[in-house]
Amino acid sequence: MLALNLLIRNWRSGELKLLSVSIVLAVAVLSGISIFTDRLDSTLLGQSNALLGADIIVESSKPVNQEWADQAAAEHLKQSKTIEFASMVFAGDEMHLAAVKAVEKNYPLRGQLDISQIPFAMNPADIKRAEAAPSQGEVWLDSRLLPQLKIQLGDKLSVGELELSVTQILIREPESGNPFSTVSPRILMNINDVPATQVTQAGSRVNYSWLLASDTSSELENFITWLKPKLSKHEKIEDINNSQERLSRTLESGRNFLLFAAVIAVLLAGVAIAIAARQFSERHTNQVALMKSLGTSATKIRSLYFSQLFILGAVASLFGLVFGYGIQAFVAFNLEKNYNLVLQVAHFSPYIFSFFSGLICITFFALPALWFLPAIPPLKILRRELEVNGLQAWVQGLCAFIAVVFLVALFSQSLKLTATVSLSLLVVVLISFVFSWALLLVSKKFSSSLGGFGRLAFANLQRRKSQSLVQIMVFSIAIMLLLTLTIVRTSLINDWRGQVPVNSPNHFLVNISPADLDDVKSMLVEKNIINSPLYPMIRGRLVQINGTVPSEELVKQANALQREVNLTQAEVLADDNKILQGEWWDKWNKTSLPGVSVEDAVAKSMDLKIGDHLLFSLGGLDLEVEVASIRSLDWKTMRPNFFFIFEPKSLDAFSPMFMTSIYLAPDQKLFINQLLHKHPTITVMELDRIIDQIRNIIDQVSDGIGLVLWLTLAAGSLVLFAAVMSSIDSRKQEAGLLRALGSSQKLILGSVLVEFLVLGVIAGVIATVSSETLLIGMQKFIFHNPIQPHFIYWLIAPICSAAFISALGVLCCRPVVTTPPMVVLREAV
Amino acid sequence: MSSALMLDVRSITKTVATQEGALEILQPISLSVATGESLAITGASGSGKSTLLGILAGLDIPSTGDVYLNGNCLTALDEEGRAKVRAENVGFIFQSFQLLPGLTAVENVMLPLELRGDKQARNLAIDFLKHVGLEKRLQHYPQQLSGGEQQRVAIARAFASQPKILFADEPTGNLDSTTGAKIIDLLFELNRTQGATLVLITHEQRLASLCQKNIELSAGSIISQQV
Repeated sequence: MLALNLLIRNWRSGELKLLSVSIVLAVAVLSGISIFTDRLDSTLLGQSNALLGADIIVESSKPVNQEWADQAAAEHLKQSKTIEFASMVFAGDEMHLAAVKAVEKNYPLRGQLDISQIPFAMNPADIKRAEAAPSQGEVWLDSRLLPQLKIQLGDKLSVGELELSVTQILIREPESGNPFSTVSPRILMNINDVPATQVTQAGSRVNYSWLLASDTSSELENFITWLKPKLSKHEKIEDINNSQERLSRTLESGRNFLLFAAVIAVLLAGVAIAIAARQFSERHTNQVALMKSLGTSATKIRSLYFSQLFILGAVASLFGLVFGYGIQAFVAFNLEKNYNLVLQVAHFSPYIFSFFSGLICITFFALPALWFLPAIPPLKILRRELEVNGLQAWVQGLCAFIAVVFLVALFSQSLKLTATVSLSLLVVVLISFVFSWALLLVSKKFSSSLGGFGRLAFANLQRRKSQSLVQIMVFSIAIMLLLTLTIVRTSLINDWRGQVPVNSPNHFLVNISPADLDDVKSMLVEKNIINSPLYPMIRGRLVQINGTVPSEELVKQANALQREVNLTQAEVLADDNKILQGEWWDKWNKTSLPGVSVEDAVAKSMDLKIGDHLLFSLGGLDLEVEVASIRSLDWKTMRPNFFFIFEPKSLDAFSPMFMTSIYLAPDQKLFINQLLHKHPTITVMELDRIIDQIRNIIDQVSDGIGLVLWLTLAAGSLVLFAAVMSSIDSRKQEAGLLRALGSSQKLILGSVLVEFLVLGVIAGVIATVSSETLLIGMQKFIFHNPIQPHFIYWLIAPICSAAFISALGVLCCRPVVTTPPMVVLREAV
Repeated sequence: MSSALMLDVRSITKTVATQEGALEILQPISLSVATGESLAITGASGSGKSTLLGILAGLDIPSTGDVYLNGNCLTALDEEGRAKVRAENVGFIFQSFQLLPGLTAVENVMLPLELRGDKQARNLAIDFLKHVGLEKRLQHYPQQLSGGEQQRVAIARAFASQPKILFADEPTGNLDSTTGAKIIDLLFELNRTQGATLVLITHEQRLASLCQKNIELSAGSIISQQV
């Protein structure tokens, strides 16, 4: 009760404001970020799973084992089955190859099927969400099949022996894996209609997918653990990590960034808490001496002060939690408004973690500063000059470090992030200590040549050497962290945006016959549509390696041996391809056989080496080639890539078809209709929706990151403010004395300006050096981005740091000169 | 030792280590003060007055010798034990008032009472402030009070906990002579009504002459003693 009374009085006197604001901010940033990350995580994972259509898919070449399905049902998992196969579809005299997906009524388990009554619909008002998959007797199809088959909605279409009614246009469906896998237009039908089509006979190439989803991730994980050992080589599990690698990487680095930002915010707030606690304890030295002279025991003093601290910590943490909740609710509201993205409700753990992180901050950052209070000798009340030994600086530093490691580990649950941040922090503290000490030494020599307030300023810096050192270190760490965060954020977002550049190709035109080539070219020119080069493309199968038919075992392990693959010839190596072994055509020593360049993973799966002879079967004709090079390629780009690229002219005799990629703006979508009307044999692959979806997710994460950066900036400013305020008491006293002796306001403020300017420049330089050091660790171990220096910040950081810190210094110290000296001196008594 | 003695000091010395070697601040000093008596300690700056006061009040311990305060041997106790003795017996008035800037006048007076767990702390504090003529300044902060008013708050605080012995370190040292005179009158009046023992350090002859006992220190030794 007495502790509470004292706390209220201390609060009223304003002594606890900085401390409370620091705790509130720390918890607000942490809770804001962790609640937001938690919600965004589950939502984006849900959204990414919507791309998959389920939480996981078990893919197989045969129907799902009934025992597994029963087990899944027993574990209350949602399940749905699909069958995919390629089949010619007929409408009157027209026919076309289609990618048929036969689904159950509850398909998909995640995400949705978007349908329309208007072909090529782009206007959201024309598109609606299907409540259930097609019923028996119905078929939904891709817009482009209508012009190709010359049919309308309501017409009939035959799949094998079964006639189905075209009832909807399929606009969007969960798209698993590589978008290039569905070259043919999609047809969606009911799974119960499949037997009647009679197209899936024994031996036909049919892909069975078993979709699974659960509302509790642990149930699903348990089931996966149960299932995995039972899977044969013919079955594999697809989840978001392996099917949507790009998205998964974006999510992962986004999450890492948010965690990193949270850690930085806590660190900054922690430093502010430590400074504020130190200030509080210094101001309370006399009070404790008085209380002890009145007979209060050290035990009682300890309990009084520590109770105050923990009551304050708990209340401030609660406020922080409320603010944090408000912050993330604000972001969530904006996401909903701008992207129509409704975030899922957060788990309970971020609330608990954030609340306790406030108490952890108090324990490790503030408590050490107050530790010495009970040990103050009562005699200090009579003899002010008595030295009081506080907890040694290194012990306080160690406590803060333990708190940082603990909090980083708690929030990131990543050993790598914890180790990188902790080690970098140690290095940075060391660098800043050595640098600040050296720079202060240099500034001493420099100051002797100065006059007026310059000399006064440098004299102050030297006199308060230990305080100046601490201030430089605090300024440096705060600026370094903010700088690092800004740079990481910029490069991360650029990296993401670079994955799907604006105006990058979003449609692929495949199967362009040599006869159609000129007309297609002129149509593109006429409509002002930019296209990439036209690649010749032919489908073929690798039948022999070095004169031998591949063994069954090799076929099983090499996917490219199991089916026909797309082959091309090219003169120039694409930008995203890199030769790993052998030579490209310009340097290759040609032998009697034409050359082929093989993709690295494919070469490894078949154990191919340079000089190996490969025999391809191209539409019944054989072509023998020699492996000239092995190359890596970036499957993550939206460009077409080939496992096998042949030497120029080697495919000419096989009448290849051509393919190209084009960019179509939303208002140019009708071009597809016109193109297919004129050239119905061309296949169009529409990737625009997938690209839009990826870009949408990237934008959402980027927005969240932007806000987090601002919150961290607020924490950083608080640290700077706290560091400036930490010297305000002694400055007030000195300024009062100087003013009483007749110094002008200009002289005092001028010296304050120069002093903080010097501190700012030194801190800016140290921050830049340290930031680059930290970035090397971050880029290398956490974000896996290439390491590069950021020269522009070498100039900007010291200037901004000097400007901001000196402005803050003058602003905080202004009351020192505007208050009458008498008042200042009397307050100092 | 007689229980009528509030303070019994036996051959205490105080030596501190300095860079130049051991410095003897107090030569062997013995004195006693009976319950209800008043003692003035005078002397020039640096003569060891404050050191002696600190030891007498149990804020510090002598290098040698013993101090008995209300029958408790302070030198035999640890800091916690001395704190207990202080809490039960001692009150202080300081030259620089030592009011807590963040607390109002009434809260400053309440503090020692609250530390003792006195449930009537506020009422008692208000009574004592009324007694020292500050009934209209209850909610004022120290910086809003004059020096004389601040010292009156300090006196109210010292007497509010009804100490058996009151130590005053230059209680008028920071005040002008008129205000100082008023404070002295107040101090002695309260001392009479409460029946407390009073030990004070002062430069002021008028103040010293009001005390029943006087000792004068020089270089850590008692050079004159009036009983």
